[in-house]
Amino acid sequence: MNVHRLLDIYAIMERLERESAEGFALCAVAAEFTALDGAGIALMSESDALTSLCTSNFAAGALMDLELTLGEGPMVDASRGDAFEDTDLRETTSSEWTVYRSEAVALGARAIFAYPVRLGAIRFGALSLFRTRPGPLNAQQSSDAYLMASVIGRAILAEQAEGSLVGLAGELNGESMLEFWVHQAAGMLAVQGSMSVKDALVFLRAHAIGVGSQLSVLADRVVTGATRFDSTTREWIDETAVGHYKR
Amino acid sequence: MNRESLLIATLVELADNLVDDYDVIDVLTVLTHRCVDAVDVDAAGVMLASPTGELQFVASSSESMTILELFQIQTNEGPCVDCFHDGLAITNHALSESDGRWPLFTPRALALGFRAVHSLPMRLRGRTIGALNLFRTHQGTLSEDDVIVAQGLADVATIAILQHRSTLDASALNFQLNNALNSRVIIEQAKGMICQSTSCDMDEAFNRLRAHARNHNEGLTTLATRVVATSIAPNDLDLWVMTIPE
Repeated sequence: MNVHRLLDIYAIMERLERESAEGFALCAVAAEFTALDGAGIALMSESDALTSLCTSNFAAGALMDLELTLGEGPMVDASRGDAFEDTDLRETTSSEWTVYRSEAVALGARAIFAYPVRLGAIRFGALSLFRTRPGPLNAQQSSDAYLMASVIGRAILAEQAEGSLVGLAGELNGESMLEFWVHQAAGMLAVQGSMSVKDALVFLRAHAIGVGSQLSVLADRVVTGATRFDSTTREWIDETAVGHYKR
Repeated sequence: MNRESLLIATLVELADNLVDDYDVIDVLTVLTHRCVDAVDVDAAGVMLASPTGELQFVASSSESMTILELFQIQTNEGPCVDCFHDGLAITNHALSESDGRWPLFTPRALALGFRAVHSLPMRLRGRTIGALNLFRTHQGTLSEDDVIVAQGLADVATIAILQHRSTLDASALNFQLNNALNSRVIIEQAKGMICQSTSCDMDEAFNRLRAHARNHNEGLTTLATRVVATSIAPNDLDLWVMTIPE
């Protein structure tokens, strides 16, 4: 059961937010939460290019620069595909990323763990974690890394919808993104507004905040046709005052 | 077909599916349909643990919104949640108005005509990764044999999620679980697009996706990803399965 681990993430966010006037960085949360030696988060643009969102310390920053410069490595792969774990950069038998591996070891990393930050087909980027000694993550750390990547996905969505991470913990705590109709609604809105599903989800969340509604409630209205987006006028239209279903 | 033949046919079908690059959601969907055929139940669904520890449905014998909602409620409460937390099967739980055990779940299940519910744990080396949920529209109990068959199918579902991983450490299992859960989200995004583009309902959208994937020998998730990326237009998806299943 990981629900208490989720609350641990929110507690770290709130503490870091209190401690710093500039707010907190998600990678600091990730590094502390997973108890590894550093974390970096890369964002993916519409054109699939990666940029650094943040890194938790100097070594993490150097590893991020290395990967973005070379255009290869575990985080680059994770951002486009699936999670990747290299438990010993020095002992690996893989012929992939030989330049990256030797440089990463020179920067002090011995094991790298990279996870896609995604929501269905939407790719937000990737989370990269490293450790100065080799070896696999234990069971709890492995679950924690996936949990952290999923929270980062929701945080990036919130940031893109609102332009701020202030009060994020409290906000994320109230919604799960597990409701299947939220993803259906994003798909429908993408067609209604001729936009990508990623933009549609950001747009949906922004509108939910704008009208003071929960995302799942607005999504329900979109799926049932009670609310739609008019592509000609670029306006939201409420067909009925109350949704067809009350959830 | 009697049950023995049905079970053999089911196992052959699943074994045939569990080769090379199979799509986990597609295989689990087949499995839920076969549960309905082989065990005396009317609806079946597979729920898996998400990274937050809450359950998320990944496959169902029916894609109707009302059935999916019944799984959705079980993110918070219901037989799957209890089965998942305790790692123990719940069988022949009769649903009734006066049953206060699941105050959100029970009234919805009753409203849909279900009278009994069962939930079987999906376990792997001491870790419960999800649950197989079975619903029945009539009262009465599943036989001991039914329960054995259902648990066997739940075990097959667990194997299907592991795909071809030879090592079964925690990180390999988390990898497969997360991919299965994410695949389901991709399918929901694609369903929304198909539904809006072709003015169909959500279960038709799923059927088109599945029919097209089958006809063109493409993975369900791969196809759904292409729909979301707009590399295939919803209107170009096949309406039905061209080949007759054996």
